[in-house]
Amino acid sequence: MKRLLKSKSFRAGLVITVIMVLVTVAGYFFSPYDPEYMDLSLKFAGVSPGHIMGCDNFGRDIFSRVLCGCRTTLLVATGTVLIGCVGGVIVGSLTGYFGGVFDTVVMRINDVIFAFPAVLIALVFASLFGNGEATMILALGIAFIPSFARMVRSEFIRNRSLDYVESARLQGAGNVRIIFAHILPNAWPVLLQSVIIGFNNAVLAEAGLSYLGIGVQPPKASLGRMLSDAQSYIRISPGYALFPGLVIILMVLGLGLMGRSSYE
Amino acid sequence: MSLLSVRELNIEFYDHDRPERVVRDVSFEMEEGDVLGIVGESGSGKSMTALAIAGLLNRHDMRKSGRIEYMGKDLLTIPREELRKFQGNDISMIFQEPMTSFDPRLRVGTQVEEPLRVHRPEMSDYEMREAAVRTLASVGLDDPEKAYSLYPHELSGGMRQRAMIAAAIITEPRILIADEPTTALDVTVQAQIIRLLEKINMDSHMAILFISHDMSLVKKLCRDVLVMRKGVVVESGRSEKVYSEPENEYTISLMNAIPKKGARSYRPEDNDLSEGDIVEVDGLNVYAGRRKQRRLIVKDASFSVRSGEIVGLVGESGSGKTTLGKAILGINKDVTGHVHCNDPYPQMIFQDPYSSLNPARNVGWILEEPLKLRSGLDRGQRRDRVLEMLETVGLSPDIYHRFPNELSGGQRQRIAIAGALMQTPKLVIADEPVSALDVTVQAQILSLIRELKEKYFLTVIFISHDLRVVYSLCDRVLIMKDGVIVEQGDTDDIYGSPSHPYTRNLLDSSD
Repeated sequence: MKRLLKSKSFRAGLVITVIMVLVTVAGYFFSPYDPEYMDLSLKFAGVSPGHIMGCDNFGRDIFSRVLCGCRTTLLVATGTVLIGCVGGVIVGSLTGYFGGVFDTVVMRINDVIFAFPAVLIALVFASLFGNGEATMILALGIAFIPSFARMVRSEFIRNRSLDYVESARLQGAGNVRIIFAHILPNAWPVLLQSVIIGFNNAVLAEAGLSYLGIGVQPPKASLGRMLSDAQSYIRISPGYALFPGLVIILMVLGLGLMGRSSYE
Repeated sequence: MSLLSVRELNIEFYDHDRPERVVRDVSFEMEEGDVLGIVGESGSGKSMTALAIAGLLNRHDMRKSGRIEYMGKDLLTIPREELRKFQGNDISMIFQEPMTSFDPRLRVGTQVEEPLRVHRPEMSDYEMREAAVRTLASVGLDDPEKAYSLYPHELSGGMRQRAMIAAAIITEPRILIADEPTTALDVTVQAQIIRLLEKINMDSHMAILFISHDMSLVKKLCRDVLVMRKGVVVESGRSEKVYSEPENEYTISLMNAIPKKGARSYRPEDNDLSEGDIVEVDGLNVYAGRRKQRRLIVKDASFSVRSGEIVGLVGESGSGKTTLGKAILGINKDVTGHVHCNDPYPQMIFQDPYSSLNPARNVGWILEEPLKLRSGLDRGQRRDRVLEMLETVGLSPDIYHRFPNELSGGQRQRIAIAGALMQTPKLVIADEPVSALDVTVQAQILSLIRELKEKYFLTVIFISHDLRVVYSLCDRVLIMKDGVIVEQGDTDDIYGSPSHPYTRNLLDSSD
């Protein structure tokens, strides 16, 4: 951790991320306007002191909607990565540690899931459970499991034959203890990277799914949803697409910088 | 004009926060036919010096200064194209690891010919093949025609190193740089390679720059010697003189670190052997691999170990000594025959302290873990025990929060030993615990093992390929070859009058 804090790109990334999180939390308690309040007189209003990012096609304040959208997007991304990470660690560590037929079978199933695009899984889930955030989190989370599992598995394969594992076994450690207390900490650095990359992918995937109309339902705001709505009006009101887009870039950039420095 | 003259060579690296000078003002000369040894421990800068002479040290984050003159030309300043005319032609190099210095996908012959292809474009394929076979024969490969068409993995370690030497001398260079050429090899093979280098020097008057950490090898081969430490030459001169009357303190400590015959610190009769046998092995066969690949590794082993003694298990690589050790510990379960160990939880000290300590955990955690698993002590007691143990193995308590990668090789091995002793076992199997360490550190770890054995009344099975180390430490010795224990008995008897021809061969090679 100390080593990480020395790196410039990590610190820059950390600052951006902390600011984004603070803004999101602040937006939960305070926003200048109701993000869903429409004032048609303000349709496509430009940037002004009253509406610092202007207004959208229904005359809603874009800044308020961005604040609200950050919350949705962060929630979806966090949930997705959490499911993917926990699932991936369990699948990856067990297959990597035990190997053999078990490994072969589970990893082939893993490959099958990997072969389906996240969008397809989300579509299936949406048709089964209906649209909505929870569905999207679940679908994306499951779609993310294979990539985490592969990372963790290869770390376990690399570590399981090292002398320190044998030494732990001689000292009386059982399989569960060896997996979680001895080998798993060695997978943290790799896992941290995949969490950060995964988070970025989740933000983009949420934007993509909402853009397709599977994810967050109107009138609720999400950054992806806003981008998708804005595309029809890009000539009339470029600010509508620009601001949510910038915020997505900042979120991804902050975590991307942090992730990059962790393997530098 | 001398053949090779190195003047005030300095090498600095800039890849860390602070610039690091790994070679400082190194100067020496070599004439035609000289054999010069550079001795030093890891980090002494000996390999860096060798690589610089071979022109193989070209990185952006480093700076070289001084002069390396070959026949009056400064190799550090001449253009790359000109340097390439010397490399592999006038100056050749052989490396430590014969497996990785060959390309696994090309036939040995092709790779032995390579220098000719570069430097003698006028030669025909047939002539090159002739030259390669001739050279392979001259380095002592029995069937050079066959070796020519084999792949590197089809040769044994010794044969590979011979083939590597063939590739290096095929252009009849004036200087051969040998960087630890025998370190990865078994003792008997080691002795053969040294004899081969001697012969090459005699026959073709080739100058040899021999880099090694092993004082006794350098003594055997070299007429002149240079002792390096932390990038500085601390002593140099004729071998006989440096070895008979070393002047520098460091050289003396290096000399003293070599375990010698007759320098044993205690005798078997000093030990209290009243408790009887701790390990009994009778007609034990150990297998490895599954199904079709299942092979018999240890054949019909029978011996016993008395409580409180140190037994040496000696053999070359592939002789099955580690497999036998793991069978006694119960790690290898695929056995037939009888093996009984009187200690329910015997422990093991591994060869490589870089992989035997969990890199993601700090020293405190690593040492506390065995207590968490089997002791029933509470947190505070465990911590006290760990601190106590750190002191016992000669480390300061501040090391508690450090991670393995922040420790030196010797410190790591001390931690590994401490970890093995945390559960106070009666039996410890030490698998080559000092062979990855520098000689001076080796001596410290060996004396630590002796001390701990007294303190904790341990029985130690000491697995090693190094007969000198075994002699200085062990009460009894088992000699293994190809999975069979060919000879066993008291150390003095075996070293004094070996009865098996293999034991004799081993002893001759290690002098």
